[in-house]
Amino acid sequence: MKKIFSIATYTLRQNIRNRVYYILVFFAVILIFVYFILSVLGGEESLRIILDFGLATVEFFALLLIIFSGVSLILEEIESKTIYLVLVRPIPKWYYITGRYIGLVLSSYIGMIIMYLIHCAILFYKGWSFDINYLYAVISSFMKIAIIGSLAVFFSLFSTSSASSLVFTFFLWLLGHFTSEIKFLIKKAGTPLLKILLEIFYFIIPNLQYFNWRDFLGSGISSNWFFIAFFYGVSYSLIFLILSIILFNKKEF
Amino acid sequence: MIAIKTENLTKIYRRRHLGKLYKTVGVKNLSLEVQEGEIFGLLGLNGSGKTTTIKLILGLLFPTEGKISIFEKSFPDRNRLNLVGYLPEIPYFHKFLTGREVLRFYCNLSGVDKSTQEKRIDEILNLVNLFNDSNKRISEYSKGMMQRLAIAQSLLHNPPLLIFDELVSGLDPLGIREMRNFILSLKEKGKTVFFSSHLISEVERVCDRVGILHKGSLLKIVEQKDWQNKNLEEIFIETINTTQ
Repeated sequence: MKKIFSIATYTLRQNIRNRVYYILVFFAVILIFVYFILSVLGGEESLRIILDFGLATVEFFALLLIIFSGVSLILEEIESKTIYLVLVRPIPKWYYITGRYIGLVLSSYIGMIIMYLIHCAILFYKGWSFDINYLYAVISSFMKIAIIGSLAVFFSLFSTSSASSLVFTFFLWLLGHFTSEIKFLIKKAGTPLLKILLEIFYFIIPNLQYFNWRDFLGSGISSNWFFIAFFYGVSYSLIFLILSIILFNKKEF
Repeated sequence: MIAIKTENLTKIYRRRHLGKLYKTVGVKNLSLEVQEGEIFGLLGLNGSGKTTTIKLILGLLFPTEGKISIFEKSFPDRNRLNLVGYLPEIPYFHKFLTGREVLRFYCNLSGVDKSTQEKRIDEILNLVNLFNDSNKRISEYSKGMMQRLAIAQSLLHNPPLLIFDELVSGLDPLGIREMRNFILSLKEKGKTVFFSSHLISEVERVCDRVGILHKGSLLKIVEQKDWQNKNLEEIFIETINTTQ
């Protein structure tokens, strides 16, 4: 466990010392301030503008953070051969993948927490009173990031270039927001083969709509959606982490 | 005790391109034994299979056939890697970390006791003359400093077996001399050293035995007494020529 923690800390340090990390967090913070100025245009709904746009911005920048660091996380170490000096240590190979993944997700979470704190400060300044739904939104975004992180690590092992794993991960993130549309297509599919293919596709892509908390709250779809979403997020990330470990164990260096 | 033993070790690289399978021989039926406390050099031209052999011993590559044992226990057993220190041909470290941070990281992975870790790191940093630069980021290190840091990381956990790939590659004459003395000092401490090189003059000066590798096959094992009568370069060229 200590060795996994050591790899995670090293990854965290590596990501946080990367200039891209600062730039992304900095831009997100700037954007949140821009909403503060733009909120004047919202009249009575000014708080709503800062709240919605702010949450979306934090999630989007966290997504950029995890995708950009995630796709190069292992690939870069293989290409630069830094991985040799880790793999010649007396540790099982899965420690490496798990440690790298934990470090990657933690570094994105730290960036997100900084952005959320600034967002909250602006909201409080505008007279917002804390709402538990904000916390749900934060945890939902955390789950999405954990899922995307596991996909980024998986694709970085699967493909031979950062660009292709970046495209795959981004593509799945995008599709993850259209699962209900895919379900609709399954119903409308003409041939059974197409139906089966779409069904498989539906199960492979991450159902990120579980984490769109606004869709569920007040609509009465499910009262325990949060726990289902949490369970789904953890299971999906774990499955892709296990697949990454299997791939990594078979890999030669 | 036998430090490294390979039996009929074979590695064939397979690569698919446009549906066609291409095979390249890395090493073929390589059988050798390296005794504990010995300095064994693997000599060969570029592409002869030296790095492949080292990677197979370290478990970075999987053998197509054959067996490897480290200190008479069969490999791959990742726990046995605790007995091995590895120095790559060109050392790569993460440039965002400082020299000390890198060593601390490898100490943790190698299971060096936390209570003695800092003392051990200081000891090693002094040994490789990097103590004053240990808090600098690696991006600020020169090539020589990187090489010294690489030596430091291979010795951290005090392994009885050291495996060095192309040891003196890219070093200046002073660096080569330092490295030669360093290897000889390891032998004095009873360590086993297994290294690859294509520099005959260096191998000749430090090794007890030398294996000549050519096109993936181990052609001959030469002992120190053999090259005292006849130049190692001549032996090497003669051996290579017999296969052509």
